[in-house]
Amino acid sequence: MRTTGTRSFILYILGIGFLAGLCFFLYSLFVNGGDWAVQPFNKHISGEGSVAAEGRILDRNGIVLAKSENGKRVYNEDESVRRAMLHTVGDTVGYISTGVQYNFRSELSGYNPITGLVTPTGKAAGSDIRLTLDSSLCKLARQQLGSRNGAAALYNYRTGELLCMVSTPDYDPENPPKDLTTDTTGKYSGVFVNKVLSSSLTPGSIFKLVTSAAAIEQISDLDERTWNCNGSVTINGNQITDVRAYGKLSFKNALAKSSNVAFSQIAIELGANTMTSMANQMGFNHSFSLEGISAAKSIYNVNGAQPQELGWSGVGQFTDLANPYHMMILMGAVANGGTYIQPYLIQSINNPLGIRTKTGAAQEGEPLLNPTTAEKLTAYMRYNVTAQYGDSLFPGMQVCAKTGTAEVGKNRKPNCWLVGFSSSESTPFAFAVVVENESSSIASAGRIASALMKAAQKAA
Amino acid sequence: MNSIITALGSVESILLFAARVAVALIGGVVVLRCFSSLRNGRRREDPVVVLEDMVTHHVIPVLYWENSIGRSKSCDIVLDDDTVSRAQAVLFRRESGWLVTDTHSKSGTFINGKKVRQNAPVLPGDSIAMGSTALRLKRTADVGGLKPSKRPHRAAASPFSLLFAVTVSQLLLAGQACLAGTKPSILPLIPLGILLFLEWGLYLFSMTVLNRVSFELETIAFFNTGVGILLLSGTGLKNTWVQLAALAAGLMLFCLIIWFLGDLDRAMRWRAAIAVLALLLFAANLVLGKEYNGAKNWIELGPVTVQPSELIKIAFIFVGASTLDRLQTAQNLTGFIAFSAACMGALFLMKDFGTACIFFVTFLIIAFMRSGSVRTIALICAVAGLGALLILKFRPYIAQRFAVWRHVWEYASDTGYQQTRVLSYSASGGLFGVGLGRGSLKSVFAAQSDLVFGMLCEELGLILALISVLSIAGLLLYARSDATRSRSALYSISSCAAAGMLLFQTCLNIFGATDVLPMTGVTLPFISMGGSSMVSVWGLLALLKAGDERTYAARRRKRV
Repeated sequence: MRTTGTRSFILYILGIGFLAGLCFFLYSLFVNGGDWAVQPFNKHISGEGSVAAEGRILDRNGIVLAKSENGKRVYNEDESVRRAMLHTVGDTVGYISTGVQYNFRSELSGYNPITGLVTPTGKAAGSDIRLTLDSSLCKLARQQLGSRNGAAALYNYRTGELLCMVSTPDYDPENPPKDLTTDTTGKYSGVFVNKVLSSSLTPGSIFKLVTSAAAIEQISDLDERTWNCNGSVTINGNQITDVRAYGKLSFKNALAKSSNVAFSQIAIELGANTMTSMANQMGFNHSFSLEGISAAKSIYNVNGAQPQELGWSGVGQFTDLANPYHMMILMGAVANGGTYIQPYLIQSINNPLGIRTKTGAAQEGEPLLNPTTAEKLTAYMRYNVTAQYGDSLFPGMQVCAKTGTAEVGKNRKPNCWLVGFSSSESTPFAFAVVVENESSSIASAGRIASALMKAAQKAA
Repeated sequence: MNSIITALGSVESILLFAARVAVALIGGVVVLRCFSSLRNGRRREDPVVVLEDMVTHHVIPVLYWENSIGRSKSCDIVLDDDTVSRAQAVLFRRESGWLVTDTHSKSGTFINGKKVRQNAPVLPGDSIAMGSTALRLKRTADVGGLKPSKRPHRAAASPFSLLFAVTVSQLLLAGQACLAGTKPSILPLIPLGILLFLEWGLYLFSMTVLNRVSFELETIAFFNTGVGILLLSGTGLKNTWVQLAALAAGLMLFCLIIWFLGDLDRAMRWRAAIAVLALLLFAANLVLGKEYNGAKNWIELGPVTVQPSELIKIAFIFVGASTLDRLQTAQNLTGFIAFSAACMGALFLMKDFGTACIFFVTFLIIAFMRSGSVRTIALICAVAGLGALLILKFRPYIAQRFAVWRHVWEYASDTGYQQTRVLSYSASGGLFGVGLGRGSLKSVFAAQSDLVFGMLCEELGLILALISVLSIAGLLLYARSDATRSRSALYSISSCAAAGMLLFQTCLNIFGATDVLPMTGVTLPFISMGGSSMVSVWGLLALLKAGDERTYAARRRKRV
């Protein structure tokens, strides 16, 4: 009998298997329960007999951007606001994976691991989420972009509050087009993408800021040097051209005029290693995040590049890519003495009992530049505005900026960029604006940035 | 006026929520108390008789109902004598008294000088000689100086209070069922009444007629059965009638099996017949079977459809188990392997792979407990693994069943439909559920059977669901801890195998529904809807009950 008793230990193997499986299930439930519960097919959230109603999404001023009414999700009454906020708020079905409604669906549904989707009183409601965004600023950006594709982002580089994030093309989440997902002609291509977070576009001349930073640190007599710009330079048998011949240029004028001839030579002079390490330091090839949502990486890669390719890379062409969100953060870093403040989107989350469960706050990020470099770069960027772009675009805000007109080839007009920040204490805003398929940076991105900064100044 | 109605609605919700918390609490306490009472109420390991070496007067306690005697260290009574075989004989106790069976020893076993083979009675004072050792059987009372075991005898929890607590939990659940619809209804009180009648009926029968002392196993089973039946009442009362009828049948089978196993000699005589009957039943199933949802495991008998494989489960374990003397004499497993292969073959032909897996795991448990040979088990597993690979290779549609495993969210609208709904609604319920009858999973196909764990989580909450499945896992510990105390190795093996079978079936059900394992479509013991399953589960419980010597203790005491 003792042997039989000993052999019954085989049951422990089964028991351990059972416990392991059970622990695995409980662990998955604990980690993913929120995701599991808030599926669109869950009748407790949507449809008749629903026991839970999703919480509201509000902008920084308490304007309702989305709420649940009679088992339906409804959005702001103004269509331009709905469109402007689409990529931040997200859609009802969950196509927009970077939206708040998708990423915070367990908070919105009121899910918690203790009582699930219900509350003991039977009257369940989700948490309300208040964003840092200003819907009127977003609406303005959306109106300014009009029918053009592009992206605009603006944040307070002292507090980290994201004030504006808009991406086009878009659609109206209240009345989504019937053929939204079935269309094959491509007329809705890109509508689900938040370009601020999820796109990387050719930067063009805004990348000269990286080349400049490297030059500031590596070339000791930078301000004494001059570059002779007669419209083009031939490197390794390939021509790098400028819009016109600028003549003899000092460094600050080379940046203000955005001379490709000068900057491609500077990039070659600095070499691939210096350029790469400066780009990496400034956040290229690194993914930034917003409330846990990862942004696309900006890319700088000159591995095995020919000299002319290295030259082109120094002026933001070649294989260079820039993510608008990263560009905005980089501007914040320059403004903030080299170290950025991490942007945030969620101002607060209040559960149905009115208890605040999350509060957004400023958080210091990594240094992207050393303070002296940041200070020198600020001065050059300020000169860009006063000497070249026109300070009247941003009256009284001491804006420092850089334009970019990135060639994208294939019968398409360039990506027009303006990135910058206000160095005035009262308007601590950094921005990145990009408009696709345009010809003049100042006339497109510049105008939008100007309108946004003026509105933000007024609201501040 | 509106605000008053809303306020009343809130009060009702809060009360129902409190009731669910209470049911979970009662369930937890009852299950814990039952298991601790099963542990504490066990016999102490004191010898009943002893063997005294006639030369050295060294006293060897006889601890078990069946004791192997031999030179091998693994024997229950180890003799340090080179002329004794490694496994010489078995000394065991039956209704008639102590018996000795010689297990093919080299030198032979002698009682009072007479050579014996099988079932030779031995009385206190008789001598048992083997090799150059001679032993005398003595009553414990006749030998002084034996140390009594230190553990004090603790009183078991009152079976009445435990069953009463279960009744309270069932009243609370039925109350929930009454308030489940838009309008309150008293109809759910009918299944409750039948359930209470059956459980208190069995209680009174075993306490007063059979004079049994323990009712813990039945209490745990009734708690789970009650949860299952009342959960089903939330999906429509007609679902409960079959369940209740099956429960009544199951209780009869439970009593019948315990009575049948009471006489070991009779049970052993019937073994071959039961094996043949099981195979015939499978054959009948294959010939007459009806195919439902891809598996041909149903037989229509007039108005009732039964699943023969559920009942064969009990026969399978009974045929596989064996007494210690037989284990020692016939060590090879060939007959049982052939029987198992025939059973599993039939299940494969019926395309009931879930049940085939259950049979296989049970087979492994029995085979190991009989032979103790890791090599044999490894070999069998290798052969089975190879077979499974071949089947998957030549029957790719079976492999497709597993394609969705761990990818259910990618197939949420087709092959992963059931699992994703289980996960979503289980999470929706939280710890205490959304309320009996108020769930949404019940409208999904097979929610009451294969997906019942999800329904349990959604409507009554994770805590209660965990208590239910953990109470089934607890049966495993109980069967194991009682393995050496059973009246025969046959009982220990069958109770361990039954517990293993129940737990493995539980694993397949809950892990299949929650995508931890591939979905196989088996029932959750006690809780799932399914008449045959309910009958079979109570039959398996009888094997567990028979493994506990206390089941038969009262009756024996009366006879003496």
